[in-house]
Amino acid sequence: MHGIRIGSLRRAVLAACQLCVVWSVCDAHPPAAPAEQYHALRQQYDRAASSGVPLTDAERLAFVGRVYKARSELAVKFLKLAEAHPDDPIALDALVQAVWQVNTVPWPVELVGEDPARARSFELLVRDHIDSARLAPLCLRVGNGFCQEYESFLRAVLASNRHAHVRGAACLPLGHLLYHRQQRIALCKEQPDLAEPFARLYGKEYIAELMRQDPQAVLKEAEGLLAQAAAEFAAVELPHGTNVGERARRELFELQHLRAGAPAPEIEGVDQHGTAFKLSDYRGKVVLLDFWSHV
Amino acid sequence: MQQFAGRPFVLLGVCVGGIDAPQLEQMMEQAGLTWRSFVDEGDAVAGPIARAWNVSATPTFYLIDHQGVIRYKWTAPPSAHTLQTALEKLIAAAEQDASSPP
Repeated sequence: MHGIRIGSLRRAVLAACQLCVVWSVCDAHPPAAPAEQYHALRQQYDRAASSGVPLTDAERLAFVGRVYKARSELAVKFLKLAEAHPDDPIALDALVQAVWQVNTVPWPVELVGEDPARARSFELLVRDHIDSARLAPLCLRVGNGFCQEYESFLRAVLASNRHAHVRGAACLPLGHLLYHRQQRIALCKEQPDLAEPFARLYGKEYIAELMRQDPQAVLKEAEGLLAQAAAEFAAVELPHGTNVGERARRELFELQHLRAGAPAPEIEGVDQHGTAFKLSDYRGKVVLLDFWSHV
Repeated sequence: MQQFAGRPFVLLGVCVGGIDAPQLEQMMEQAGLTWRSFVDEGDAVAGPIARAWNVSATPTFYLIDHQGVIRYKWTAPPSAHTLQTALEKLIAAAEQDASSPP
């Protein structure tokens, strides 16, 4: 009796194990809906940047590297999700999240790693979602970056999206990107040791191509895009209570009057002792002008 | 900056912290800061000079050559090497111009 019971127990355990194997073959749980998969990945993505402890400079740097790498790995998963469910509305959210990490600071590639999902994600964004009404936040975000894909994406949105608020949100950052990228490339031309980390991070060919561009032609195009944003898309609302017109006018002023190569606008004011003076009083000397604050 | 003493170079500040001249004078004295600084009154980073120069965050640096032309702009402190290279180049050009007859 006893033997039989042990035997049947063993059989039951074995059967349960086999069942487990079968379950794991066809996935341990019923597959989550694409939206649920998206939200699970999104939680991991947001958690990747929470540190909670005070950090030294070296620790902070290592932390930056970890966050970039963790998010690049999650970007691959977001991309896979979008590729598996191209017709689900969540595919767009997943692709946007796959490219959400924008490299505003050119960290060394050794620190932050590669971003393998970026090129393909932008390909799918252009192929499947170029006419979406939901692209404005991504357009505004990538305008602060440097990658090759950002420029072609913004150009595609401006040319093909039928929603004026999205085209406006592409026109302004495209002008911003072209202008600021050109300024960085000018610095790289002057200091070749700056160009090398850029080439490692963004691609040697891409940087070489930017170096060959005519700076005046790039500035002219950037100026035209900002003027277009100020004229055609002025009323398009932006976060923080501003709009495209206001931002475009400020950027246009900066490009025309505050860029390297432009005569410095005069400053007339008083110093800390109440004595009046002007910036141009120092003509003949090199001036390092430091906008600073006591706090 | 001491290394450029006696050469055609000056560091000028624009204090955009929203304080007036007597407050700035007192603060700089206490902190031992000696450079000459414009006072940009009004709200922090919203005074007339900050607005005219589109400054939205500190520190923002402009390096202006001896002819009054903007040559570099940094919205974060440049590395010592970058700053040194740029300064040396512009100061040398200023000295060259000053020594050659008009």
